[in-house]
Amino acid sequence: MPALFFPRRYPPLLRVAVLVLLTVFVSVFSEKHPNMESVSLTMAYPVQWISMQGTSFWQQADNYLQSRAELESENIRLHAELVGAEPKLLEADILRNENRQLLALLDSIPQPPGKVAVAQVIAQNFSPSSQLLIVNMGARAGVFVGQPVLAAGGVAGQVVGVSPMSSQVALLSDLDSSIPVQPADSDTPLLVDGRGNIDSLAVPFQPRNTALKVGDRLVTSGLGGRYPPGLNVGTISAIVRNGDHSFAQIMVQPAVRLGQLSTVLMLWDNLSSRPAATP
Amino acid sequence: MIAIALILGFLFALTAETIPCGPLYASLHPDFVALLLLYWAISSSSELSFTIVWLIGLLQDMVLGDVLGAQAIAGVIMIYLLYTGLGRVRGLSSWEQLFFIFLLLLMQRLLVWLWQAWAGAITWHFSLLLGPLIGALLWPLFTLALDYLRHALRPRHI
Repeated sequence: MPALFFPRRYPPLLRVAVLVLLTVFVSVFSEKHPNMESVSLTMAYPVQWISMQGTSFWQQADNYLQSRAELESENIRLHAELVGAEPKLLEADILRNENRQLLALLDSIPQPPGKVAVAQVIAQNFSPSSQLLIVNMGARAGVFVGQPVLAAGGVAGQVVGVSPMSSQVALLSDLDSSIPVQPADSDTPLLVDGRGNIDSLAVPFQPRNTALKVGDRLVTSGLGGRYPPGLNVGTISAIVRNGDHSFAQIMVQPAVRLGQLSTVLMLWDNLSSRPAATP
Repeated sequence: MIAIALILGFLFALTAETIPCGPLYASLHPDFVALLLLYWAISSSSELSFTIVWLIGLLQDMVLGDVLGAQAIAGVIMIYLLYTGLGRVRGLSSWEQLFFIFLLLLMQRLLVWLWQAWAGAITWHFSLLLGPLIGALLWPLFTLALDYLRHALRPRHI
């Protein structure tokens, strides 16, 4: 093993000390320069590309090996779901029509629906300090920082880093994540914060006598202009009111199974394509 | 030949760390890159370059999307401790090494955690301790497999 940069005659402690200083420098430099994110995503892409090939190979093999019986039962289940969903779709159509008429009455222009694209998850990093996904769609596909990311069930998170071929998505459960919401049946503005825990989010700063109940559904409120309003975020799963804390401890179960995502939907919404305010 | 095997090995380890296999795998899997670094440092006859260890750690940070430098510095300090304090580990059998591997992996994980705490967002979770434990328990199997691979790849002189 040849010595790189350092001649071996320097004592090991000195070499380690120089590297520690270099790390501090790199760390501070990357915090100061936001486009370092894009550089490191680009550097990581080859490794993630290999990982993606491996996963898709595995999925194909898995599909191929799935037994007929499993497929039949899944087919029956999906048929049943479809039958259940049809009346709801009809209802949604009626509501959409009604909504358009009401908006016309209010003299506001109905907004054209946003564009979505399916992206594949190529890497994940779940640790208490970060809950990140890497998806195989980047600046070349028009992905931008702050873009909402959806999945089956509702909101999954938002884009926090973009490189030409891939982008980094912070899930709702990420420690730095916070999303403006409201209960589905009222318009109280609330926040839902990530706590570094993949299957539990939290509503901060609500008084202990809050009117929220276990089972309340929370949807995006559209405040801040980053997420379009009305998307599912989660359901309140527990409320702890005790004197130890000044606020009620409100736990939210995310609508999306954040840990099981293999594909996500990137959303280009007419609201969010507008340059958003700083987060 | 050995160099190509090492590069492929590290690529494989990085891939295994980020492969999307659900939350259970994500919280339980050991740090494969650290395990491979330890194996390389213990089995290689010459001393590893700290700079190489540092660069591998930096690439790992980029792939994981974590605070840049956390894995890099933890890896360098881990290998430094192995060389200066725990040099005798090399002579032990892989079962006897298991305990020291656990200590080194635990220290490495705590350093990564401290570095992230210094950079901002952090919470403590007991699953941080499970990775090193599982990594150490896998160590004998890991060395057996890699010893076999190294033996098969060894250049033969007639």
